[in-house]
Amino acid sequence: MTTAKTSAARPTRPLQERAALPVLLGPSVLLIAVFVIAPAAYGIYLALTDTQLTGFAAQDPQFVGLENFRNLLGSADFLESLGRTGEFVLWSAIIGQTVLGMLAALLLRQKWLRGKGLFGALMLLPMVVPEVVASLTWASVLSSEDGSTFNRLLGLFGSGAAAPLQEYPMTSVILINVWRGIAFAMIMFQAALEDVPDELLEASRMDGASALQVFRHITLPLIRGPVFLYLLLTTITTVGVFGLIYFLTQGGPGQDTEITSVYIFQSAFKYSQIGLGSAASVILLILLTILGMTYARLAKVEV
Amino acid sequence: MRRNRVLAAGAAGLLFAGVLTACSDSRAEGPVTVKLLQFQEARADVVKDLIPEFEKAMAEKGQDVKVELVTDILTDDQFRTKITQQFYSGKAPDVVDMGNKNVTGMAGAGYLLKLDKYLHTWDGWDEYYPSVKDGARERNGSYYSLPHEASVQSLFYRKDVLERLGIDTSQPRTWDELIARLKQVRAKTGEAPIVLPAGTAWGDGSWSEGLLPVMAGTGSTLYDDESGKWKLRSKGLSAAFDLYADLVEADLLPVRDLQNPNPWEPTKYQKFPQGTLPVAAQGSWGWKYDWGPEGSAPIKNSRERIGTWDYPALVPGTKPAPVSGGGFGYSVNADAAHPDAAVELAKWLSSGKALAKQLAAVGAVSPREGLSGTAPYKNEPSLLQAEDELKSSIQPPLGDGEDRVSQAVQSATAKIVSGDADGSQAADAFAEEAAELLGSTRVAK
Repeated sequence: MTTAKTSAARPTRPLQERAALPVLLGPSVLLIAVFVIAPAAYGIYLALTDTQLTGFAAQDPQFVGLENFRNLLGSADFLESLGRTGEFVLWSAIIGQTVLGMLAALLLRQKWLRGKGLFGALMLLPMVVPEVVASLTWASVLSSEDGSTFNRLLGLFGSGAAAPLQEYPMTSVILINVWRGIAFAMIMFQAALEDVPDELLEASRMDGASALQVFRHITLPLIRGPVFLYLLLTTITTVGVFGLIYFLTQGGPGQDTEITSVYIFQSAFKYSQIGLGSAASVILLILLTILGMTYARLAKVEV
Repeated sequence: MRRNRVLAAGAAGLLFAGVLTACSDSRAEGPVTVKLLQFQEARADVVKDLIPEFEKAMAEKGQDVKVELVTDILTDDQFRTKITQQFYSGKAPDVVDMGNKNVTGMAGAGYLLKLDKYLHTWDGWDEYYPSVKDGARERNGSYYSLPHEASVQSLFYRKDVLERLGIDTSQPRTWDELIARLKQVRAKTGEAPIVLPAGTAWGDGSWSEGLLPVMAGTGSTLYDDESGKWKLRSKGLSAAFDLYADLVEADLLPVRDLQNPNPWEPTKYQKFPQGTLPVAAQGSWGWKYDWGPEGSAPIKNSRERIGTWDYPALVPGTKPAPVSGGGFGYSVNADAAHPDAAVELAKWLSSGKALAKQLAAVGAVSPREGLSGTAPYKNEPSLLQAEDELKSSIQPPLGDGEDRVSQAVQSATAKIVSGDADGSQAADAFAEEAAELLGSTRVAK
């Protein structure tokens, strides 16, 4: 009887699983298709046209093939915006947020540290504040006016007024983005560090390894996957940073902080050239895909 | 009997159809709602008070028209971005009050109603100044905006400050003459004495209030109406970019302020009122909108303390002249549900006392004759003087693709301001970028 039941159940289980698969995955696939794949495909189509929002050409968009891509790849402004994006991502996300986030996570793991709750909350605050509020607050703090917070602080040390957003614009936006992003890095690394066995760390210390050696040879290899996953995520989000820079400097002064996301906004919406802006987005998408695959390969993680 | 039933059914059918028709008619004759968009507070405030008067005037004509005022306070650039997308997605209001520099691109895209048939049958249209009509006419000869304001672009100067410093305040004949005076101011105050809008942060102002009026009097053709093409290299353009570079090189332009995200604030709203930056390129709206008692940065006794110069001659053989600075107009959405009522609103707001109230409130110049005796506009001597200048002002030619040219000017002047280019390099960068943005079909060889 039992045998009969078992033999009868065997062929039906995979069938049920097969039937359940579309039900379980269907909604996600549908959502991704509607909200990710379809807009991306439409964006690629627009990139191959001279679609504009204003002017006589707006009434009759033409298929222009790769003309937009040729224009962009020959445009010093666009290439410089890509360079600035690389600079922004490297210093604010890959170096700033990652290093400081890791330090914060390691610090929170220390048993001797008092007030961990307060420290963690303080680190989390910048992430909780909405982007536009954070940007406008910093714009006010760093304003070139004599009465701005930054200039009042400088005044306490006898220094004259400064205008960091005009004099050191890229450094300023990088530092502000680091400030905003540390919390996410800290949370990711804290979770990863939880999985590092204490015994292993104790054993290495017993063997005479220094704190740096423990981190370099024990901790880091064990959390390599989460670190690369974080790098992938932070690279994608930092390349897409728009509001922070737009509200702080609008890409200026001149074009000093015009990273590619700002360039795309200016082209597509301020100057109404949807075709050109879409082509710039497609180029950015391709670069991000290459970068993402590189991270995934380096981390040997399945994403 | 059977025949009676058929007749009764027929009569009932007719009666039912009659009732339906009556209902349908009553809907058609019911209140018509027109949505009017204002994006500047001063304009919204004055129009809000005028709307009941318009509704009353229409009711007296037997038309039930209601106006819904949509107030969305934005900067020029924000407004342009937003309204373009509203038009593109079919969500724009029926009537939009906007600067005429926006009209060409939107009319070209088919967003705006052609107003020719309405204007040519309207008595009021004959009273408009020819320069205003020229400025409003699109390349295809049609009108897509009813101008209700005009302006004159001049160099505003702080008479009290320059006199105190012992600087000549008579009309400078050439830019060289003015630069010599500005250098004297700089030597005495140690600060940059003049602001011309430049760079990307000032947005379209760097073009329409900055480079365009500087080069307008040079006699060089920028846009050829006949061929519909832009001439991106000319003696006038080179001279204009050189002027910017000379001003930067001599430390006469406030380059740091021009790189501020809101460059008009430290310059027009702080340093000009304080008197530390005594010369500013400015449209006639500055008398009220910027420095009037209820303006953004009031200057007491502005009539006594501020004077205006025409733009000095930039190239040999030319002379100083006022430059028409464009103005605002009412455009009607091409998809407006009630275009006739929408145009009626635009015409009413552009006439008589309603127009006089708007002009006085925002500090604009009348685009038509016959307003100089209408209160409260008649009590604004600065505006009446500017209206006189409007008649002889230079009308800069504008055409399809002006927004692209504006974009290239912003980038090129930004390079000068940041010290990355001299005048000729900026002129080259402008020509190259504008040609790329306009496409070969819109650029003269």
